[in-house]
Amino acid sequence: MIRLPRVHYEAILEHARTEAPKECCGLLAGKSGRVERVYRITNRADRAVDLFAERGLMPQSGADPSRLPNERYVMDPEELFRALREIEAAALDHLANYHSHPATPPWPSRTDVEFAAYWPHVAHLICSLVDPDQPTLRAFRIVNGQVCEVPIRVEEEPIGR
Amino acid sequence: MAVTVLIPAPLRRFTNEVSSVQIEASTVGEALTALDAQFPGIRERICDADGRLRRFVSVFVNGRDVRSLQGLETPLREGDEVGIIPAMAGGR
Repeated sequence: MIRLPRVHYEAILEHARTEAPKECCGLLAGKSGRVERVYRITNRADRAVDLFAERGLMPQSGADPSRLPNERYVMDPEELFRALREIEAAALDHLANYHSHPATPPWPSRTDVEFAAYWPHVAHLICSLVDPDQPTLRAFRIVNGQVCEVPIRVEEEPIGR
Repeated sequence: MAVTVLIPAPLRRFTNEVSSVQIEASTVGEALTALDAQFPGIRERICDADGRLRRFVSVFVNGRDVRSLQGLETPLREGDEVGIIPAMAGGR
């Protein structure tokens, strides 16, 4: 179970909409499965053609680096490192990664599953914009190539706050 | 040169869950070799058989990606902090 305060849920959807048609990406940190912080990270897929090519994971649409962020994401390494350091310094847990699928359903792709191998201890959230009026956000654990959905509970702010 | 190597969560199974290690090294490459002497097997997760940094791994000195410095030859100074992170990547 991922507990996601409404404000952070909206922040992820907003990030996905802002970046579309590119994929957005970021980290979620918190305590006891409850998200307290959202870290937006820059998608650097345009600089990482070789990372996908060496694994046979280039999109069918071709190898134009400027278009790669529409179908792939790679979190900027320095931003990612800084965010993970901040999370640790704040004594929070790195709970999840998130990214968007601007034109496909919110289910882990082969590429997602392959790269998740390095991060089995966190959840992977995917925000789909297939229906732009009704974005969907789902979460998964991906361990040894096995995908298992994790429920997300969006928590409403207490009244009067 | 005593430096601190920060071990990312995905590699802590090699270090008995230890998250930072003090070692002696004067370059990033030496730091990885020293790390492997202490925790056998960890270096091959970071470098390929030819000793090059694997494409899906980034190594940092004081927060800067060594790919924008001098790679594994990047010199280290007393007190430097070496970080390691596997890529976070995917796509539709």
